[in-house]
Amino acid sequence: MLARALTYTIEGLHTRAVNVEVDIRAGLPSFTIVGLADAAVREARERVRAAILNSGYDFPERRITANLAPGDVPKAGPGLDLALACAVLAASGQLPPERLESHALFGELSLDGEVRPCHGTLAIAQAAREEGLHALVLAGARAREAALVEGLHVAVAERLASAARVLSGGPGDPLPAPRPHDKESERLGEAAGSSGGSGHLDLADVRGQSQAVEALILAAAGEHNLLLSGPPGTGKTMLAQRLPSILPPLTRAEAIEVTRIHSITGLLEDGELIDRRPFRAPHHSITTAGLVGGARRGWVGEVVLAHRGVLFLDELSEFARSTLDALRQPLEDGRVAIVRASHSAVYPARFALIAATNPCPCGYHGEGEQCRCGEADLARHRRRLSGPLLDRIDLIAHLQRPGARRTTRADGRDQADAPAISSVEARERVVRARERQSTRLHEEGVSANAHMDAPMLRRHMALSEGAEQLLRGAQERGTMSARGIARVLRVARTAADLDGSARTREQDVALVLSLRAQEAGKGRRAA
Amino acid sequence: MSPHRTAADGAFPAVAAAAVEATRGGPTSAFPGGALEDPRRDACPACLRRAWLLATLSARLAYRARDPEGLLQALALSDQELIRALGGRHKRELFERHARFERSQLPAAEGVRRICHHDPLYHPALRGAGAPPMLHVAGGFERMHALLAQPTVAIVGTRRASDYGMEVAYGLARGMAASGITVVSGLAEGIAAAAHQGALPTGGRTVTVMAGGVDVANPASWRGLHRRIAAEGCALAELPCGAIARGWCHIARARIVTALARVVIVVEAHERPAELLHARLAAATGATIAAVPGRVSAPGARGPHQLLREGALLVREPQDVLDALYGVGVHRAAVSRPAPGGRLRAVLDQVGAGNDTVAKLTAGAALQGAPAHEVLVALAELELGGAVARGDGGRYVVCM
Repeated sequence: MLARALTYTIEGLHTRAVNVEVDIRAGLPSFTIVGLADAAVREARERVRAAILNSGYDFPERRITANLAPGDVPKAGPGLDLALACAVLAASGQLPPERLESHALFGELSLDGEVRPCHGTLAIAQAAREEGLHALVLAGARAREAALVEGLHVAVAERLASAARVLSGGPGDPLPAPRPHDKESERLGEAAGSSGGSGHLDLADVRGQSQAVEALILAAAGEHNLLLSGPPGTGKTMLAQRLPSILPPLTRAEAIEVTRIHSITGLLEDGELIDRRPFRAPHHSITTAGLVGGARRGWVGEVVLAHRGVLFLDELSEFARSTLDALRQPLEDGRVAIVRASHSAVYPARFALIAATNPCPCGYHGEGEQCRCGEADLARHRRRLSGPLLDRIDLIAHLQRPGARRTTRADGRDQADAPAISSVEARERVVRARERQSTRLHEEGVSANAHMDAPMLRRHMALSEGAEQLLRGAQERGTMSARGIARVLRVARTAADLDGSARTREQDVALVLSLRAQEAGKGRRAA
Repeated sequence: MSPHRTAADGAFPAVAAAAVEATRGGPTSAFPGGALEDPRRDACPACLRRAWLLATLSARLAYRARDPEGLLQALALSDQELIRALGGRHKRELFERHARFERSQLPAAEGVRRICHHDPLYHPALRGAGAPPMLHVAGGFERMHALLAQPTVAIVGTRRASDYGMEVAYGLARGMAASGITVVSGLAEGIAAAAHQGALPTGGRTVTVMAGGVDVANPASWRGLHRRIAAEGCALAELPCGAIARGWCHIARARIVTALARVVIVVEAHERPAELLHARLAAATGATIAAVPGRVSAPGARGPHQLLREGALLVREPQDVLDALYGVGVHRAAVSRPAPGGRLRAVLDQVGAGNDTVAKLTAGAALQGAPAHEVLVALAELELGGAVARGDGGRYVVCM
């Protein structure tokens, strides 16, 4: 007898529908699975047999052939167990086969017949919805995640027997109550595996460095790429770690996108919607494949995990040159195309790059006589940072050590201790600025100022007279290239948005000019 | 100052070729009179052979680089003496190769011409003992002649220069070139490169002396500047085309730079003999030694301060050099950029006073009362106008 069940497998970030066909006929007892199954799927035989027997059903002692169609798509992961078991039950007459046509099944089976959650539930729910299936049957632990997809009936089956009940027309198990959880920010910090994503860090901890704080707020508000440069101990990492606390929340569509990626990669722990932007901070020993993906089929890199969020590279100059070069495409196009002999894929990777670096290998260049680096060391350091990568960085904030001589204010407090803006205030400014951007850029199909192209700049800049004069002067004197000016304009627009100004004023342009990447200095080759 | 250095009339006094030949070995080539760019004009085989010999003995000369005086003495030796002094085990072979030398043995490079001291148009400053007997020229004889006919100033200094030093070197060179003076230096990291960059835009008024072959950019990362100087200004070298620069070549090059210059300005130099080499050599050639002062605490200012203590001319701006060349007030420096006024002036002065970051400018008592955004606008205007630039650590530096 023949039975069919529907399920999905995940390839990279995409889902592929899989038809599980089970044929049972007379012969020596055997259970064969064909159709490009990986190790986890082949092991399903043992799990399915035990789960069926332990759930009180009969396991047919006959010749069982399971085919996973289409035959050219590699099937991976244990999520096919449930569909296999149900197809075997239907083929052996223990389950009415009608509803198997309209219900997708997704879940791993334990030996005692329990249904376990699998990675990528959200993506599979989306696929089931798109295909117009009646319902998706899956484990309770992931039901909330699947329920994020509107218009899809989610049936909970905690055990194989419950799944059989649903397929016979009965009710599913009740949805488990949401786990009480701690602050969302902490959850995200954990889920994203970030080193510094905790919500406890506040910008108010930063003393002085007002220019760098301003640059950080600009980067957060407009999704601009930022480089923090300065000697050790000036607070580069400290600042970057506080970035998540001022990032604007994800929109619903973005949140689904991010949750989907994190669900597939197994970074989503409790199946709730991620509403805070990802913050990824890989160590500088990361390989190119680790950063952009492509190590093996379906493996995504840090740039994809940072999609819609922030990728923070501390000690930028310590990263391998080839690894940094691999960032060029995602920074330019907001996606990464992986092509390998065995597979190829395009993944979304639109993130803001925040990088931190010392000004030279020893860290003290530009700090008087302290630097002990040779000219060749300096040249090598500049070479590594310069070129195509630096070309895509919109803002450079130089952090300086507070000088020994400080001016004391009237109240006796040190000037360098001037209170910095708190994260709550900063985030409010950022959120408002982002709202202004999205209203303005809504029809252009981009979400932030950083993604405006030249025609959009012409339409939306609204330069004040003074600002225009300033930039025209720069262009006429040849001090700045057209590309450099476009970059300044994009960030200046964000500066104006942060201040709530409809026009881009002279002071916005001036602020950004003080934070721009420099062109090669005199007697030097690169900034 | 020797009379042949005041080449104000634009032509070198013709030196009787015969007189030179008597001191230097046999004449061989005929020097076509008239057009400088006559394709037949070339160095004579004896002088070409000298360049070949130096390149051949380059590794052995490198041992002498630690003692500049000894090196310069070695360079003043005749071919035979040089082989005997440095030839080691290969003396006989070297003598044989020396005797068999042919013009075609010396590599040629496109656009590179050669001129030797037997030519009446060879620069008179290079006719002394120990001076190179021939030069490879990139950029053409005519341009070399025109550039060296103008008053010449060498701008030299350390390779590890501060942003301040680079700006000063750049600004001085720019001002000097605008006033019709040719800036001479040797292509190198730091002050020298900044000086070349400053002088180039004004009609390519710069001459670089290469340490290796005239066609070899050294340091290689400066090949862009090297190419531009060869195309717009003039590049000279003593060694044959393609020769790699070794340690001794930089000392040998310094003697050409100082010989060509009437004033040698040291912008920034650490207190090391190698960095003050140009000034020491200038003392021997009779050129005016000048130095740019700096902060007493800056390591790069120690060299210039040392020179100033010894009586060097103090240089703050191009006008100081013009005064030394032409007499006080005779020749006014060309004004390249109008000085900013009003609020820009106040900000510029504060940057010059050492308040070199936005934080210092806005927080300090310097510009009391000025709102931060006004300071930023002023800084942007100054930077875009070229009055300030930014160096290491994003600090602002005043441009000259």
